[in-house]
Amino acid sequence: MTAPTTHERAHQRVPLWRDVIVLKWVAQVFLLVVVLSTMFFLATQAGDNLRARNIVSTFDFLERPIDIQLSEGIDTHPDTGARALWTGMVNTLRISVAGIFFATLLGIVVGLARLSDNWLVRRLGSMWVETLRNIPLLVQMIFYFSVLTTLPRVGLGTGPINGWFHISNKGISMPRVFIADGFYQWLMVVGVGAVAAHYVRRHRQRIQDETGAMTSPILWGIGTVALFGLIGIFVHPMFTWMGGIFGAIADLLDSLPIIAPQILFSVVALGVAARWISRFLTDHRSVRGHLSLSDDDWFRIAFAALASLIIVFVLVRWTGFSSWTLNSGRDLFHVLEDKFNVDGAARPFDAMRPDIIQKSRFPNYGKNGLTMSIGFAAVFFGVVFYTSAFIGENVRGGILAVPKGQSEAAMAVGLGRGQVLRHVVLPQAIRIILPPTGNQYLNLLKNTSLAVAVGYSDLVQIGQTTYNQTGMTLPVVAIWMLFYLSCSLSISVVVNWFNVRMKLVER
Amino acid sequence: MTDAAAAEPADDQGQTRDLSNARDMIVCEEVSKWYGDFRALDKISTTIKEQEVVVVLGPSGSGKSTWIRCINRLEIHQEGRIVVDDVELTNDLRNIEQVRSEVGMVFQQFNLFPHLKVIDNVSLAPIWVRKKPRAEAEEQAMAQLERVGIPEQAHKYPGQLSGGQQQRVAIARALAMEPKIMLFDEVTSALDPEMVKEVLDIMKTLALSGMTMMVVTHEMGFAKEVADRIIFMEEGQIVEQGTPTHFFENPTEDRTKLFLSQIL
Amino acid sequence: MSEFAGLGANLGMSTGMIPITAPPETPKLPPREWVKANLFSSPFNSVLTVVASIIILAITRGLMSFIFNPQRQWDATATNLRLLMTQAYPEEQYLRIWIATAVVFTLTGLSLAVWRAGSAVPLSDVGRRLLTFGGTIALLVLLAPFSVRATIIWLVVAVAVAGGGEALRRLVDDERTMSTLGILLIGLSGLVGSLWVIPYGNHTFQLHRTPRVLAEPGTVALTTKLPWTVMLLVAVAAYFLGIFIRERLPTNAPRITLLLLWLLMPPTLLYLVLRDPSFDMGHVLGTDIPIFLVYAVLGGALLNWLARPSTGEIGRIVAALVLVAAFAAFLTPMRMIVRLDMLVLAAFALAAPTFSGGPRARKNYVIGWLGFLGIMSWLVTAINTPSTVKVPGQFFIGGLSLTLIVAVFTIVISFPLGLALALARTSNMPIFRLLATWFIEFVRGVPMITILIFFSIMVPLFLPPGMHLGEVAAVIIGYSLFSAAYLAENVRGGLQSVTRGQHEAAEAVGMTTSQKTVFIVLPQALRISIPPLVGHCIGVFKETSLLAIIGLFDVLFIARSVMPNQTEFMGSTKENVLFVSLIYWIFCYQMSKASQRLERRTGLGER
Repeated sequence: MTAPTTHERAHQRVPLWRDVIVLKWVAQVFLLVVVLSTMFFLATQAGDNLRARNIVSTFDFLERPIDIQLSEGIDTHPDTGARALWTGMVNTLRISVAGIFFATLLGIVVGLARLSDNWLVRRLGSMWVETLRNIPLLVQMIFYFSVLTTLPRVGLGTGPINGWFHISNKGISMPRVFIADGFYQWLMVVGVGAVAAHYVRRHRQRIQDETGAMTSPILWGIGTVALFGLIGIFVHPMFTWMGGIFGAIADLLDSLPIIAPQILFSVVALGVAARWISRFLTDHRSVRGHLSLSDDDWFRIAFAALASLIIVFVLVRWTGFSSWTLNSGRDLFHVLEDKFNVDGAARPFDAMRPDIIQKSRFPNYGKNGLTMSIGFAAVFFGVVFYTSAFIGENVRGGILAVPKGQSEAAMAVGLGRGQVLRHVVLPQAIRIILPPTGNQYLNLLKNTSLAVAVGYSDLVQIGQTTYNQTGMTLPVVAIWMLFYLSCSLSISVVVNWFNVRMKLVER
Repeated sequence: MTDAAAAEPADDQGQTRDLSNARDMIVCEEVSKWYGDFRALDKISTTIKEQEVVVVLGPSGSGKSTWIRCINRLEIHQEGRIVVDDVELTNDLRNIEQVRSEVGMVFQQFNLFPHLKVIDNVSLAPIWVRKKPRAEAEEQAMAQLERVGIPEQAHKYPGQLSGGQQQRVAIARALAMEPKIMLFDEVTSALDPEMVKEVLDIMKTLALSGMTMMVVTHEMGFAKEVADRIIFMEEGQIVEQGTPTHFFENPTEDRTKLFLSQIL
Repeated sequence: MSEFAGLGANLGMSTGMIPITAPPETPKLPPREWVKANLFSSPFNSVLTVVASIIILAITRGLMSFIFNPQRQWDATATNLRLLMTQAYPEEQYLRIWIATAVVFTLTGLSLAVWRAGSAVPLSDVGRRLLTFGGTIALLVLLAPFSVRATIIWLVVAVAVAGGGEALRRLVDDERTMSTLGILLIGLSGLVGSLWVIPYGNHTFQLHRTPRVLAEPGTVALTTKLPWTVMLLVAVAAYFLGIFIRERLPTNAPRITLLLLWLLMPPTLLYLVLRDPSFDMGHVLGTDIPIFLVYAVLGGALLNWLARPSTGEIGRIVAALVLVAAFAAFLTPMRMIVRLDMLVLAAFALAAPTFSGGPRARKNYVIGWLGFLGIMSWLVTAINTPSTVKVPGQFFIGGLSLTLIVAVFTIVISFPLGLALALARTSNMPIFRLLATWFIEFVRGVPMITILIFFSIMVPLFLPPGMHLGEVAAVIIGYSLFSAAYLAENVRGGLQSVTRGQHEAAEAVGMTTSQKTVFIVLPQALRISIPPLVGHCIGVFKETSLLAIIGLFDVLFIARSVMPNQTEFMGSTKENVLFVSLIYWIFCYQMSKASQRLERRTGLGER
């Protein structure tokens, strides 16, 4: 396998067609060629067919005006394709984040219910799980949707609690608290509070460790943050100067030539690859300097080098990416600048009650309240209920997987039930619960794409409208996949990070 | 194979046989292997003759198992040369197949196939590797099971047998390929004490029948009684080798003495 | 259930395991103490009980008043049952549907017998179940908005059921048992018998000339109750036939035959029975059969030579050349079947040296090739032959049948694909590993609906001119690729749990990598993966509902977009979708229960 064997003892040459290493690589290269040529063949066919239909797939439609009206989102009358798709992405993310939050809460409740000592609660939990997870999510969503559409019309002076909470065939409307102009400054104050809370917590913990008195460090930490939040409501204008800094950064980014990000990214790519290769080599080098690399190791090194070179090549050839990063970086900092450049009278939060306005014959919800359209509500209840059944099962399985001996041992040293749960069972159970729950988060995100069936303007629905209008199916599908892939990747990175942390804590 | 062995007069137990005229079965020349920084084998050179029974001793982590696993290429040596029955172990597919079907191996953890009945465990390789008709292979498998004394267990699954019985099935499975060399990798270490004897007895019988054997073991009694030669390894090197009498009664190396004082 | 259990038994799995006994049940408490221990053990617990009771009562009450609301149009589902099941499959051809159903029932009956499915349950257990069941009915009746008369009738029924259960529980001693199959048979007979006796009403849609709804009092139509009675009888007859076979033949032969039949069933039923291809005999005799014969003879001879142990490396080189030739042939314009046959021949040729041996093994190998070739040729011909069944819509059948067809085909196609992906992902070949990992992670990172849309719109673009693929076929291909990626992850867990020692032992007796994989690794890995694989099948079945989004006439699409638009049943979506969810729920719940039973039997779920 290594060089010396084959070179020093050349008297028994291995015929090529019997050499395991050669065969192994021939088979792999053959498969690679087959895969690549199949893809090439399909791509050529698609190109020919598209040309025959006079369709040229480009991303130009992103810049062009588009005639589309959305039911809800940050921009209900987007002027370009890009803006429309961006609205869809925000809508998808919005419902995913809300869904993940509430599904987790409900899932924990369901899981605990299934472990309850109470027979009736246990039954209720298992009924919930067995019903919801055995009916397709889409069927559930459509059912909720069809029930919601047949609710009574909205009217002035109706609703379960008029002026506060309305349910009708236009959706659900309730009071809302929203971010006002001073919010970002306030956030800075809270950030300072978090740093302070860290030290307060450590201090209290030290006191507890030294004296043995119960000082509840976590409560103190939370209290500190809350205190800063309260103070922040009054003092937040003191952070207005940060707007100037962000503005300066934006101007700096604007003045940079395109070559700057190109050089930066290339250096990072090459550096990472070089560092990885050198570490790989030191890991495989013995103390005496003997280097033993198998063919797989060589492949890894070559692959790392090749990948970095490809990245550099793409960066050089595709200047659009570099200018896009520059522009979007500039825009981001300009936005931040705007957020901070507000006068001192701004408030961090505002709250409003739902209103009902009657413009034409039928009254409708106004803009004041937090309104869930029926599309949103159907998707939201669908994913939350459905995912809660799965998360509940994870929670239950995780807690059951902690051996009974653990809690018995903890009880034996005199810990109370709550302490056993908090200090012994949960830390172990979370390690088991987290990976499958992360998977459920991924599924939830992907499942929001079913919104297309109930008319909620998520990315897939808007994408469908877009390609129906422009005929740009391939680019839209590519954008979909890219978006979902990067979201999935982000979620799994976060979940992995937690996983690693949990493992370290455990050891 | 067995017939040929039976024709030879059995040697007296524990006595050194004169094997100087016998064929070389395993030749190792400066065999070395690293795991990253760790040098598992350090220029091992020795020759094992036909019908010779070699016992490899040494503290754990000394490279004994790695060495015998190199001999049927479960591990790949990085330097040096291993020649088994005139076939050199290289990347040549044909050589690897040939050596593996000529060298039988028995593992510490038995490694029986849990989803197959005992008889299928034994006859699987003869059918698919030696390409024997099923009926013939099963007949021979029964013969091997009789040889290790458990023909009545043929239609059970490995999980239903005791450790000693499982290890005997593992020996039968290796023998069914009619190997010229048998490698034993700490075969009694995972067994309950009362089952060690039944396995060792079979190995003794096998040694008397003239099989070339390499045995990694901690059973000193077995080594004294059966071995033609004892090889003592430490830190990937062969420290000392010789007849059991020489090895146990007047070892020359200090490290050997230390080892013997610790275990005896 | 029977198939999965049977698969296990066939691979020698069921008997090799140490039986795991259920933990001893906690001794049964008298009712009053049980209530105290389980519902009112502490003040907090009592509060929980009260809250939970209120929730349960509210949900039940809401559901009952939803279902029995006079505004509900349950006539819509009753009248459109046939539409929901098979869409507009022509009335005069309906015998084909019943034949297909009968085949499924026959195979089920045979399998139940051959794999000795079912277990014995104590009669007292049955009694307890009946008691609970009766109680539940009574509760539901009391909560439902029924008229006084209906309430009384139903209460009498509930009390009768509960009383029967209690009597059974009291009178029969604990030793008496009853087989689950017997209970199933009684239940089904009752159901089918009720079709003849109870006046459910005769609901039909008259499609001829003027479409009109027919809803007459009385029992259901003869065209419904007669076939179902026959189906039940067929299943029972098949069961006894299965017992007859089981007693007279060695265990393995009927099992393997049945497995093959199960595998062959979907394409046969779909293309030969339901689709009714109008074969062009001239073409079949003039082109298809000659191509088959050429490949059969030449390929058979080649394989026979390759499978000889004495052929040696030359054989491997020849096999590799056949593979290269097969790919070269793929780039040349020839009949599809010629190219496909070549590819399959190459696969058989590559595997020949590994899985061959004596003359008998060689003969079996060649027979296997002939069988595979024959089935493939016939299938390709059948697929390319136009159907005589003409319906409005893209596919000749819809509704639940389409759902089932897509689910079954997807599972069957994605199984080998997923297996290959899992093996590639765990192999020691970096390029294989890389390609498999990228594919799997890519597919798992995007929602299924995007893949379905991609395939239903884009596949026509990827095909060379002159080739056509129906939308259903395109969707099945896309869905199979999607499902294969998930399946690969399930199998990977099993593959990784096969210990290193097993690999080494197989290598030490001289097996090649492919022999090791087929005989040692896969059987063990698949056994471990059975519970997740059943879960995967449930998932595939549930996600077929997404076909409705891309406009295929599956059961959900009909319930949501077709039936509510009929003039008689305007806006009946809620009822229809509730009915569809009931169908899905029954299928999925049964499968998940089966998988749980299996898990308990193999002891995987136990700690």
